[in-house]
Amino acid sequence: MAAEKSLAMVLRTVEFSESSYVATLFTEDFGKITALAKGARRRKSAFESALDLLSVSRVVFLSKSSDSLDLLTEARLEKAFRSSQKELSRFYAALYIIELVNLMTDNRDPHPELFRTTVRCIGRLDQGAPIAPHVLKFELAILRHLGHLPALHACSECSRAVPDAARMAFGIWNGGVLCNSCKIGKRKVVSLSLPALQLLRSWSEPEPETTNDTDWSLPQFDTEWTKVAGEVRGLMNQYLCDTLGRRPQLFDFLGFH
Amino acid sequence: MAHLTESVVRVIDEFAKLPGIGRKSAERLAYHVLRVSASEALALADAIRDVKQNVRYCKNCFHLAEQNECDICRDPRRNQSQICVVEQPRDVLQLETSGAYSGLYHVLLGRISPLDGIGPDQLTIDSLVDRVKHGTVREIILATNPTVEGDGTALHISNRLAEYPVEITQLARGITTGSVLEFANKEILADALSGRRKF
Repeated sequence: MAAEKSLAMVLRTVEFSESSYVATLFTEDFGKITALAKGARRRKSAFESALDLLSVSRVVFLSKSSDSLDLLTEARLEKAFRSSQKELSRFYAALYIIELVNLMTDNRDPHPELFRTTVRCIGRLDQGAPIAPHVLKFELAILRHLGHLPALHACSECSRAVPDAARMAFGIWNGGVLCNSCKIGKRKVVSLSLPALQLLRSWSEPEPETTNDTDWSLPQFDTEWTKVAGEVRGLMNQYLCDTLGRRPQLFDFLGFH
Repeated sequence: MAHLTESVVRVIDEFAKLPGIGRKSAERLAYHVLRVSASEALALADAIRDVKQNVRYCKNCFHLAEQNECDICRDPRRNQSQICVVEQPRDVLQLETSGAYSGLYHVLLGRISPLDGIGPDQLTIDSLVDRVKHGTVREIILATNPTVEGDGTALHISNRLAEYPVEITQLARGITTGSVLEFANKEILADALSGRRKF
């Protein structure tokens, strides 16, 4: 058993026995792990508040080679999520983000860049960034990181460039835009306006890691978004449910239909 | 376990289902039951049957009760103008041991936990609002656990009660009495500083 160290975000904790937790952590270096935190529920636990949901903590764990749980030996809180004391919608949005991470990542599959994106996104939500566009940005980022981003430029069936038109066909089951010849006879195809598609194209581009957090308050960000918010939200809800094979729990809390 | 009788295996299996009881401990408990007198063993069985048949939730506060109302709600000496809101009945027992509170309680029977699909509707928040609406309550003390979900639940309740003329307070949090600042983590220190009070 090797002792591993990493920065981690707490995705889920489940009570185990009278004093312990089984914690699901999204670590920067090892991807998602599930570890037993013995005695974590005791008052004088070594973990203190480091295993609360949405916390970013520096953890040490003993990695098990078999299928059994890893053993968490140390967790030191780096950053706690505070907005659950101030604004419920912000709290639900942050939970939705970790639900997506938990549903879409596999155990022991490291995605350091996605980890940093997740921490940054939740940190921004905690600081007061606008919720709905921020959630969409994260959805596009996680789809891109994990290779599920829909085709937004070329036809998802024949790979030929799709010329821009006032309304474009988007195949939910096909995973992106469809050209005029490929869309015929396809099921679960929705019509998407060009401004909505352009917004998806521009927001799905990777964001430089150096981007300043205050960029979210640019006025152009608001105007771009408000014009097509409903249309894009509807499309993403369908696309994500189809990709995940289920409806995320947090959809109801966020009012996503 | 071919060498044990069917009844003994059954009692071991049942004990092993209890939280914190492993197979070995279950066997020890089963041997203890076999060793004690019949009346002593059956007293345990009767106690379990009674608790399942007689214990229910209080109609006012949802604490454990053997009648329609719990002992706390029926006690005329309790301060009727304060309600302390907790997540579970065991939190009531814990607060009662402090001896520092003499008001009433309201047990939510959980907390808002969206990742588990538990929303406000699955808790007893509507009943709490009714108590505030129809009662003589002046203060609601939110004593949910100081976790992200506990705080979210407290925030939801405070939003729901905003339109009523009640004072809403929350349990203080921060540095433990008898501990030292040097070893307190930064979040605890931040809580303690933001919740500081006039000396």
